Amino acid sequence: MDERKNEPQDGALFVTEAPAKDAARRKKADDQRGAPGDGKAEESAELLDEILDLMDLDVDVDIRDDDEKVVLDVTGPDAGRVIGKKGQTLDALQFLLNKILNRFPEGRRHIIVDSGDYRERHDRGLVTMAKREAKKAVSEGRVKTLQPMSARDRRVIHLALAKFEGVETLSQGQGTQRRIQIIPQRAGGRRR
Amino acid sequence: MSAETVDAMRELVTFLARSLVDDPDAVEVEVVEGDRAWVLELSVAEDDLGKVIGKEGRTARAIRTLLATMSARGRKRAVLDILE
Repeated sequence: MDERKNEPQDGALFVTEAPAKDAARRKKADDQRGAPGDGKAEESAELLDEILDLMDLDVDVDIRDDDEKVVLDVTGPDAGRVIGKKGQTLDALQFLLNKILNRFPEGRRHIIVDSGDYRERHDRGLVTMAKREAKKAVSEGRVKTLQPMSARDRRVIHLALAKFEGVETLSQGQGTQRRIQIIPQRAGGRRR
Repeated sequence: MSAETVDAMRELVTFLARSLVDDPDAVEVEVVEGDRAWVLELSVAEDDLGKVIGKEGRTARAIRTLLATMSARGRKRAVLDILE
């Protein structure tokens, strides 16, 4: 997946494809996408359970949502290890699950791996931090560059700051080194 | 890290690789013991290399992250080597 597509801000800056072609492709992907109750939730829960079992982790896997996306919930004594440092184990599991189960275009469903309220808390933390940095960008009149983050985390911040007065956001850098910059806007609203 | 953990790691890497590739029969994982680390040598069919490495190495990195979680307590690390 082209990670830029997750970022409305970036999309506006780096249009690489004719919108009509993009829309047609998106529609095709929509037609092939799986739906709730297609068994993907059960299949993904089973696969995650098998992986965690091979990793010798003492946890349970439950299906929390089987709507547009499949959301799996990992709980138990080893849940902390399943989350890992900054959620990186949780992200690795989610990435591999999506790779394995969405190998073919038919029946694609996005699978999310969560543990309790981890992702909600994590997102709240990101938004709080981003707003604090945005305030600083405005008061100091300087660009604030955040730590490198995943496409998903950057998206949360782009969306949170979209309506924040006086700043614009964009992503800079490649791959794992991609970071958000929070740019204060000059009076009059023109950037640079 | 115990020999059992290394066996479990080998099983995990084999399982993940077989689930990711088009040719699961060609997946092999050899364990080589070094001074400082256990090396898990993964080989797959040539056409499947990209599937276990991923765009910008993301798939390989995700597998390595899981191995790191498993070896967290041990003194000796485990490293994943993808043979080309």
